[in-house]
Amino acid sequence: MIYFDNSATTFVSEGVRNRIQELTADEFSANPGALHKLGLKAFEIYDGIRKDTASLLGAKPEEIFFTSCATESANTAIKGYMSRNKRAGNAVISTRTEHKATLECLDYLAKAGYEIRYVKVGPDGKPLIESLEEELGKGSVALACFTLVNNETGSVLPFESIRKTIKAVSPETCIYLDCVQALGKMQVNMSSLGADMCSFSGHKIHSIKGNGVLYVRKGVRIDPLILGGGQQDNMRSGTQSPVLAGAFLEALKEVSEGIEEARVKVAEINSYLRRELAARDALILSPEDALPYVLNVSFKGFESETMLHCLEIYDIYVSTVSACSAKQKKVSYVLLEMGTDRKIAANAVRLSFSRNNTMAEAEEFIRRVDEIYEQFLIK
Amino acid sequence: MANVLLARMGEVTLKGLNRGSFEIQLKSNLKYRLKRFGNLKIYQSQSRIWIEPKEEDNPNFRSMADAEAIMKAVCQVFGIVSVSLARKFEGDFESIKENAVECVRELLGQNPEYTTFKVESKRGNKTFPMTSPVICDELGGHILDTFPELKVKVKNPDFILNVEIRESNYVYSGKMMAHRGLPVGTCAKGMLLLSGGIDSPVAGFMMASRGMPLDAVYFHSYPYTSDLAKQKVIDLAKIVSGYSGRMTLHVVNFTQIQLDLYKHSPQDMLTVTMRRVMLQIAERLALKNDCKCLITGESLGQVASQTMEAIAATNEVVKMPILRPLIGLDKQATCDISRDIGAFETSILPYEDCCTVFVAKHPKTHPHPEDIIEAEKDLDIEELVEAGVLGTEDIVIDPF
Repeated sequence: MIYFDNSATTFVSEGVRNRIQELTADEFSANPGALHKLGLKAFEIYDGIRKDTASLLGAKPEEIFFTSCATESANTAIKGYMSRNKRAGNAVISTRTEHKATLECLDYLAKAGYEIRYVKVGPDGKPLIESLEEELGKGSVALACFTLVNNETGSVLPFESIRKTIKAVSPETCIYLDCVQALGKMQVNMSSLGADMCSFSGHKIHSIKGNGVLYVRKGVRIDPLILGGGQQDNMRSGTQSPVLAGAFLEALKEVSEGIEEARVKVAEINSYLRRELAARDALILSPEDALPYVLNVSFKGFESETMLHCLEIYDIYVSTVSACSAKQKKVSYVLLEMGTDRKIAANAVRLSFSRNNTMAEAEEFIRRVDEIYEQFLIK
Repeated sequence: MANVLLARMGEVTLKGLNRGSFEIQLKSNLKYRLKRFGNLKIYQSQSRIWIEPKEEDNPNFRSMADAEAIMKAVCQVFGIVSVSLARKFEGDFESIKENAVECVRELLGQNPEYTTFKVESKRGNKTFPMTSPVICDELGGHILDTFPELKVKVKNPDFILNVEIRESNYVYSGKMMAHRGLPVGTCAKGMLLLSGGIDSPVAGFMMASRGMPLDAVYFHSYPYTSDLAKQKVIDLAKIVSGYSGRMTLHVVNFTQIQLDLYKHSPQDMLTVTMRRVMLQIAERLALKNDCKCLITGESLGQVASQTMEAIAATNEVVKMPILRPLIGLDKQATCDISRDIGAFETSILPYEDCCTVFVAKHPKTHPHPEDIIEAEKDLDIEELVEAGVLGTEDIVIDPF
């Protein structure tokens, strides 16, 4: 099997599997909120996990909140900030290439009367600074929402210059950054990054599904999305789960090691595929300087889904742009926003790698693509 | 007192000397369809079928709400016009009054907005000392005394309380409407050409309503169409089988055939040549599986392949009758039936059944016979048809 769909989700690592096994032991299974000593033990282990997670992300423990997924993190950050900080105004800026978790929140806010301004992106998927300046110039902005690495193209946000541009005009603007596809693939450190809120997902870094993290910089106040028993400093109610938090931490530990070596290895696979595919009837849609973990390719003569199923015959797994929207039979809104021709975008397939992929797999992939062209192309 | 179901037969009762065989089939279908609801006694008297639990306290008969599932199942059996949950009991008029009050109490519990009613009675047992009008008067009065908030209204009341006096007494109110038709199994089997669209499941439903058991054939073009599309067809077959009974779905691996057609047939004739091959494969599968006809969801003029010329061009390749129950139906009427039988939501799922890459932009809508001869001159049709029949996967579809 060749699994090139790591941006959709990753396989659970051996270490995470073992850690989950350990943390499901009776001694850690009491309610971390209980007053008895068994509860205290569960709380201690949970609290330790929170501290270690914070430390690996370059954050303070009280800035880290465990959620069920990055979508929950995004919802909490975006809706929670706008609901809490009414005095900051009602304008939000973002781009139309964000993940649906962000875009749907913005649509929700728009329906509630908020003003959403969209910054244009260039053919490389990066927000255009002039467009950003223009949108900022239209009046004060409460919140800015961007993505560090685009999930469909791998396009990397020039965050420092975006941040500077925003803060120069509007120092009070809160910046939310979707870091889901960046985590474990490039350095993501809260203390040096300069974002105010960030979302992370466990299952994109070889943890299981059902765990995410929301970072909220100390001093930034937001309303909770989920109300209840007041767990996690009232920010995210619901009994804390040492197992899920521990799974996230274990995965984070593993991907935080050797980030550079892994990037070099994946970059070799990426450039090999770019070269070989470009020499065939394929168009590379990911920008040159994209993170090598994502490679968006348009195969001439094959609609996205047909190519996906052709590859599936050979036990090769890829995505038609974004697994979340694959069932809606739509052409990628991200590619269209970048100015990609609709016909080219309709044939787009996303290959996404993890550090576990190999060059041998990439070579096999190319051989299979040749066979598919031979056997299934309708001339 | 025990709750029982009263199912009314429709067209079956118009039958002459062969009525018995239709009734036997109907009862057998009910027995099969209702076996998951416990041990039941199903028997007939005149134009009614009675369904009673053999064991005491069958949970499916406890109340109107509990009986909804079994009543829906009865309504899926063709040959039934409607069904009611009735209280069955013995005794004199006093017991009728008691049961009538209980029946109204339960009904008002579920429908607190009801304010008007009337009583209708039938007295099959002529030894009962009161006549039907007297029963209605007396019982109506008793109900009014017991439920002072109710009023009698003869035209369009909120509910009708029915009393029937036969070997036992029955009291009930309201009925669930079924799909009428004739019991499935009273005519020969048909082969339904099933796609993932709206029309073909409706066509299958309509033929099953005339008593026809079904098999179905689906043409799968993986990897051009996904396995989700195939699953959708399986789901649709299951919905149809809820009415027609168990069927076998024959999934033809159509990919290579479609590629050959694409290669050797002119673009604008592709739809016609493809449908001609499909019908021939379907006919062979029909013969192998004891089906006497083919059934399609074609509706005249709906798409390029459904013009009169295109239908004539596809019709001529098979000897078997092709039944097209939707041929004169407006699309909206088909959609209404599709919704009614619970297929619509599945039919409109986006997975395509016939890959768009194989469809010509401008197909010939009025093909001439000479066009067809020209289009098929480079094709070994017999070989393609045989390949289709051989590459078929059979899936048994059970209604539940």
